[in-house]
Amino acid sequence: MSKSYGIIAEFDTPADVMAAARAVRKAGFKHWDVHTPFPVHGMDEAMGLKNSNVGWFTFIGGVTGYTSGMLMIWFQNAVDYRIVVGGKPLFSPLFAFPVSYELTILFASFATIFGMLFLNRLPCLHHPLLKNQRFAQVTHDKFYIVIETTDRQYSETETRKLLESAGSKHIEQVEE
Amino acid sequence: MSSPAATATPAAAHEGSGWEKLPYVFAVAGFIGLTVGAFSDLKQFGYSYLVAFMFFLSICLGSMFLVLLHHLFDSSWSVPIRRFLEHIAFLTPVLGLLFIPIAWLAPKLYPWMTIDPNLDHALHVKVALFNPPTFYIMAVVLFGVWALLSYKLRSWSLKQDETGSPECTFALRKWAAGGIFIFAFSLTLAAIYWMKSLQHQFFSTMYGVYYFAGSVWTTLATVYIIAIVLQRRGYIPILHRRQYHDMGVLLFAFTVFYAYIHFSQYFLIWNAAMPEETFWYVLREQGSWWAVGMITVFGHFFGPFLLMLRIDAKLNLKLMIPMIIWVWLMHYLDMQYNIMPVFHTTGIHFALTDLASMAFIGGTLTIVFLKYFHAHAPYPQKDPRFEEALGHGAAENQGDHA
Repeated sequence: MSKSYGIIAEFDTPADVMAAARAVRKAGFKHWDVHTPFPVHGMDEAMGLKNSNVGWFTFIGGVTGYTSGMLMIWFQNAVDYRIVVGGKPLFSPLFAFPVSYELTILFASFATIFGMLFLNRLPCLHHPLLKNQRFAQVTHDKFYIVIETTDRQYSETETRKLLESAGSKHIEQVEE
Repeated sequence: MSSPAATATPAAAHEGSGWEKLPYVFAVAGFIGLTVGAFSDLKQFGYSYLVAFMFFLSICLGSMFLVLLHHLFDSSWSVPIRRFLEHIAFLTPVLGLLFIPIAWLAPKLYPWMTIDPNLDHALHVKVALFNPPTFYIMAVVLFGVWALLSYKLRSWSLKQDETGSPECTFALRKWAAGGIFIFAFSLTLAAIYWMKSLQHQFFSTMYGVYYFAGSVWTTLATVYIIAIVLQRRGYIPILHRRQYHDMGVLLFAFTVFYAYIHFSQYFLIWNAAMPEETFWYVLREQGSWWAVGMITVFGHFFGPFLLMLRIDAKLNLKLMIPMIIWVWLMHYLDMQYNIMPVFHTTGIHFALTDLASMAFIGGTLTIVFLKYFHAHAPYPQKDPRFEEALGHGAAENQGDHA
């Protein structure tokens, strides 16, 4: 038998899975996730999820874009190819602003996209859950909690008991 | 979920607390200060009064805008804060009375009033707008339009408290749909007549939007603090995290919008470098006005932008309360920056009448506001969107402010 990825528990309603998620969070698990067919309001709080860190990627990308825009225009107009246009100074943050601003948005968007992919560990070409026959129902009408074996709290018997007491009617191991 | 009627606190129970005497103190002290100031320097009095008047006009028109927006977008989140916004918007008739000193001193304040248009080309081409009779007629029209619009927005809403009829919402939607156009034109005309015409040679198609952006920014800060006060004192117990979140987000949005507008105005004028436009900013680079301009860049935009960037910052009262006071200060400086350089050409100069006019107009408006507020239910009682305002995102409402 191959190595175990984790344990999967099936629930029938959003309320059930929400209550179970609270129980799993209270038990102190870290490597776990909830899968639902549609967004469930309040699930973030139930799981104890904080605001995503992707904003930091956006911010740093934006600052980089702005700075590189200003530096680029300064280098081009005031250093590399000095030419007076319209009687204006060789460099002014005023005329450099629109382009720097656009680079702010461009770099911030790229940083957001790639930061999101990085934080979500994407692209992920295969996932152990995809082998699980029952899990296909997650796009239909079932709700799942998956706790990974890498979690320190994980124990094959105790974790199963916890999920049973949380109201799951079907629990199975997921192969790696 | 308790019903609206059960959660409503009878306003009378809170009446007569000591804090509510404060506006009287401000109004009387301001009036005395203004009287003294008027006798010592009438021109300084006039300009100080105009700055304070434009500051408070911002908040009244900004509130009117938020009410219009509420109906136009059929919002639910803003139901709990709508009633006091309607009251603030309906302070425009009071502002009409408070405009009398400006109307009286206009020939002293606006140089174009006493210039012969035949000797001034810049005035001659704008004489259709800038002539004394039009100035006074326009003031009457503007206050009339605002009074009518804010009266209708409030009376239909009050009627719904009695009847609960959806007809009121439909009527309000119609008033809002037409009203937003009237609002845009009237606010632009007010900004042009009462501020921009101080230098009648100036051109800027951004000017009305500029005043609008600053006005709504200041209004949102004011609304945020009024909401906190009214919730803490038990008048509006139905305010939740969602309302503060949305007000914070809008305040942040208008921080950026104001910067965008003001930068656009400056950038185009700087780029084109035409004397008939640049003189406006050249005057505002003299002496300490230059510093005020820099404070606007960093204090009106950059500081608030960075501080409010994080989503949790918009809900953190330890940050937001000082921020709101800062917003008021920045908008006041912005009004000074627009009006005062005509009078104090070498730099910013504070006078007693500056404080007195703020105290007088602010005090008077607050007195009337409290009268309105105590005479009616503190928030719409039978709005069709009421349950939605409370119910939607109930989980997000956990961990309330107060």
